[in-house]
Amino acid sequence: MSAIIENNQLPFSAKFLQFYKDRTLLAILLSLFAVMFIYGIFFTENYLTITNFKAIIRDAALYGIMAIGLTFVTLSGNFFLLSLKETASICGVTFAMGMATGFGSPDLAGNFLVSLLAALAVGVVSGVIQGYFVGMGGNPIVVTLGGAGILYGIGAWWSDNLVINFTRPHDAEWLGTGSFLGLPSITWSFILIAIAAEIVLRHTNFGRKVYLVGANKAAGKATGHENFSMAIIVFTICSVCCAFVAVAFVAQMDSAQSNYFSAEFGSSGDMTILVIATVMVGGNSIMGGYGSTLRTSLGAIFIAMVDNMMVLQGFNSGPRIVGVGLMIVFSIIVFGLFAKGSRAQE
Amino acid sequence: MENFLKKITKDVDLSFAILLSFCVYVFFAINIEVFFSHNISFAILERFAVLGLVGLALTICIIAGEIDLSIGSNAALCAVIVVKLTDPLGAPLAMIIGLSVSTLIGATQGFVIAFIRIRAIVITVGTLMLLRGVALLIAEEKTVMLTDFRVPDFITTKVLMYFSPASLTVIFIFICVGIFMRYTKYGREIYAIGGARKEALTAGIPLRRPMIIAFALSGFCAGFAGTVIGLKSGTAQGLGLQYLLLAGTVAAFVGGVSILGGKGGVLGAAIGALTVNFLNTGLVFYALQVHFVQLFTSVLLVIVIVFQTMSRVFDSRQARKSLLATIDERKTSLLEKKRSALGK
Repeated sequence: MSAIIENNQLPFSAKFLQFYKDRTLLAILLSLFAVMFIYGIFFTENYLTITNFKAIIRDAALYGIMAIGLTFVTLSGNFFLLSLKETASICGVTFAMGMATGFGSPDLAGNFLVSLLAALAVGVVSGVIQGYFVGMGGNPIVVTLGGAGILYGIGAWWSDNLVINFTRPHDAEWLGTGSFLGLPSITWSFILIAIAAEIVLRHTNFGRKVYLVGANKAAGKATGHENFSMAIIVFTICSVCCAFVAVAFVAQMDSAQSNYFSAEFGSSGDMTILVIATVMVGGNSIMGGYGSTLRTSLGAIFIAMVDNMMVLQGFNSGPRIVGVGLMIVFSIIVFGLFAKGSRAQE
Repeated sequence: MENFLKKITKDVDLSFAILLSFCVYVFFAINIEVFFSHNISFAILERFAVLGLVGLALTICIIAGEIDLSIGSNAALCAVIVVKLTDPLGAPLAMIIGLSVSTLIGATQGFVIAFIRIRAIVITVGTLMLLRGVALLIAEEKTVMLTDFRVPDFITTKVLMYFSPASLTVIFIFICVGIFMRYTKYGREIYAIGGARKEALTAGIPLRRPMIIAFALSGFCAGFAGTVIGLKSGTAQGLGLQYLLLAGTVAAFVGGVSILGGKGGVLGAAIGALTVNFLNTGLVFYALQVHFVQLFTSVLLVIVIVFQTMSRVFDSRQARKSLLATIDERKTSLLEKKRSALGK
């Protein structure tokens, strides 16, 4: 209460400064957007076409959905998962198994709903188990590093490290390659998930709890919001997002393999680091409690835009990975310098 | 000997590490006939030259309370540099250049972490990607190869039945780092900022110096591991060596470091690395695919994490119990005093 009163008594310039400081990172991101956009218009051929923008948003959607899931984990102060691509790969293998063989029963082969539910169930199970260990007091990085190896091992073991094919036409085409009103389904899912996540974080009890636990674990514990249940829930949300992306990707490719999401996936570098990069470039505090899924979505589109421009300019994967790496380091340093002296560090 | 036994019984995690490595070794020694032989011991020590260094690098970082995710990329970058420069400059000069680049990268990371005061995982995720890109750029997206494969033969010649120059150098590095961490002021500072950072800073320990030293050491170790791998195989790739992070983390955690920092040591790192080596070498005999090795290594990591978490929870419960017991004792004694005073 006193803070509000003080804020009202501040002179206009100070208020403006405060407003600006609150939104500096967003402003930096938006101005970088503008710079890249103008550069793209003038120096890159075929940049300013509707097809290209559709391609950018489609690229962004794949890791954007995963990054929105990861934002919940980051906001709740549990850093990030190193098992994103392994979760996605085992869910993709599950989905493809269901589409190809129906898990042993020929009646179920090609049944989209059963395969989808099985893939999501695998995501839920892996999320709950990892969340349980983190909630018990394990370090998220180490737990998910171990989890990554186990998930990848099981996925490769189950599929014998082979490519699982299923033939067209199948029931999942609408998700993989179909489009609605001129935009691909995966792009629509990205938009819907982003809006839903934003509403959940801003306007529900659970969303505010995520911010509370992330901003101050001790205060959360004192008010009865322990990190134990929170860790399980946010890890499950993140894993389910990974499962959804895997299903969409596998439906598009008509096949799955345990290392589909490993190095050289689509864009530069490996999927896990790319998703973490998306969350960081968006300007979310990795210590938790500060950020939003809107920033993450913008970060995803930004990375996709830069990557797309570098591809159009004819760069190889080396410079592209350096570009994304520089973006992460830059955003971390800018964020760190702005947050210096505040409680956000520790 | 008595001193040693006392230390073992006092440090639960270290004794668990010794027990675990003993179990793994005995399991393979029973099941595989040739496992307990001179050649296998030589092979294990050869692998130790790589994994031990990575485990040592992560151990130092975790003792300082941080974790370095970029060691795989750092090792790959150093390997690419060394292999690429060996042809024009010769192996020794190439090694010096590669190692100094790795050490410099580590030191820079440490400086940034201490200067901005952020967590190391945050910045090292960025450098993981950045260094991988730089390695790809230097290698021009190809596999770099030596033209003369006889050049690096000197690091794999057998010495004294069990050793090679590579493993001897690594053992020497272990001893040096062990002495440095245990008996010098700078080494103790690393323990201090890991175990109790706020208290250490209040007591006047600068954050920058130990952080820079810890990360420079870890960069040096990662670079040396990359050098050994690159020279041994004669090839290097920009995208390779990412598995080192998992293997090194397992080695460090089996060796008894705590993620909270300030605990563990070089001896633990060596034992942890040996355990992972026993596992990897033993699994070779079953002719399993690569993903099984990863699966079993991860299972080892999960076992250790569960043990550590459980022992921490157990410890805190025990501490709480003893605290409550002392409080009860005091209360009863006070009551008795009151009663006796009233009785008078």
